[in-house]
Amino acid sequence: MDKTVDRLTHQMELKNVSKEYGQTEDPIPAIQDVSFNLHRGEFACIVGPSGCGKSTLLKMAAGLDKPTSGEILFCGEPVIGPHPKISMVFQSFALFPWRTVTGNVEYGLEVQGVPKAERLDSVEKYLEMVGLAGYAHLYPKQLSGGMKQRVGMARALAVDPEVILMDEAFSAIDEFTAETLREEVADIHAETEKTFVLVTHNLVEAVELADKIIVLSTRPARVKKILDVDLERPRDKTRSEFVDAHKSIFALLKEELETTIVRRRISRVPEFQRLTDIEAQS
Amino acid sequence: MPSFTATVLTLASSLHDAGFIMRVAQSFLNLTSGIFLALAVAMPLALLAGLRNRFDTTMTPLIMLAGALPDIALLPILVLWIGPGNAAAISIAAFSAFFPIYFTIREGTQDISKDLFHVAAVFNTSRADTFRKLILPAISPQLFTGLRLAYDFVWEIVLAIEIFSGVTGIGLYISKAVEAGDVAEAFAAILAVGMMAILVDRLVFGRAERWIRRWID
Repeated sequence: MDKTVDRLTHQMELKNVSKEYGQTEDPIPAIQDVSFNLHRGEFACIVGPSGCGKSTLLKMAAGLDKPTSGEILFCGEPVIGPHPKISMVFQSFALFPWRTVTGNVEYGLEVQGVPKAERLDSVEKYLEMVGLAGYAHLYPKQLSGGMKQRVGMARALAVDPEVILMDEAFSAIDEFTAETLREEVADIHAETEKTFVLVTHNLVEAVELADKIIVLSTRPARVKKILDVDLERPRDKTRSEFVDAHKSIFALLKEELETTIVRRRISRVPEFQRLTDIEAQS
Repeated sequence: MPSFTATVLTLASSLHDAGFIMRVAQSFLNLTSGIFLALAVAMPLALLAGLRNRFDTTMTPLIMLAGALPDIALLPILVLWIGPGNAAAISIAAFSAFFPIYFTIREGTQDISKDLFHVAAVFNTSRADTFRKLILPAISPQLFTGLRLAYDFVWEIVLAIEIFSGVTGIGLYISKAVEAGDVAEAFAAILAVGMMAILVDRLVFGRAERWIRRWID
């Protein structure tokens, strides 16, 4: 396939995606009218204040949850449930503790009915890719957090997906290990040319990895801004372009957080509380 | 009171007695059948309760109430309904075994991390595979605890019903030996029951525990 054409087509499209929780009469909006597109091979980061609904958005992209309105398309087809070409990495690693490293990595292929020998070839290949060759027979409890996430990465890669969704994949790992892991993910992205979507609240991480950063607002999450990060790879965090990019996103998020804090403070003052109550009633 | 040596010697000679062996086997069979019956009923209910909150809030209080009933006191009623014999022994064993099995499996199911279900879903795991490859191994530590507790509790209730309703198991053997004044023989039988319990524990649960210890945190 011609690669330039390929890059122009949208692999994943979110169209006016909204999510509400609670009863139909009195819904609590979590995500409102979120739209963005991803190209094949793109690395996208979704950033936003904590609790804004980033992870819910990712779960919907994975087909684990359904939008209340709007739609999510993968290669032009609506995502109505888990898709074999969409894989996921979890913040909690979510490894099966009773399975060895091999057992965890081969899981996706196993439930697809791929024969054992073929599975083991894939396991070897992807363990090598994430730097875990030689740990195949260990159980998760024998691994450090960083190693567990490597297993999580290898498991997601083993089914040869086109899109890898990562939910705060580096948040539960100590910073030194996380840094190495990020570099490796950048390498894997360059090597495999798969599409990556990382949800994070770490802006440095986003600037380090992303081609595109989708900045979400506080709850209910709306798209505040979509930024293209056009920095040379591998990225050097000490370069002024990097620092500038980081600063501008930080300013955006700070602005967003400050408006919410002001809104919350006002609502705590009794007079304003009454005003907002009246407003709400009218 | 017979000496320990006398008890062991009596046991050694009893072990040559086919009748004695048959009685131990009969009691053991009643116990095991009861536990498997309890497992068959408790497992689906406990899984439902563990996975569906609504089911749990309606079902579990009722089960707690039933579990609070003194099973020894139910014996005469049960014998009245079912009649004396192995069926009554198996029923009461199942009744007693139900509760530890139900509550341990329910807890084990509730403890399964949501993310593991998400993993199963992301990789498009079938319902059967979700049960075999996720739920079953995840609840196995609690399941084995439940079965182990059941084995400990239920031995006593099985022996009690055998004495009460004249089942030809080891319970009746013990009570007859005591009536005949042969205390050494009674002790030998009690010792046989104890050894049987240890044997099962080592062979079945010991093995399961070793497997679980390899991976559990």
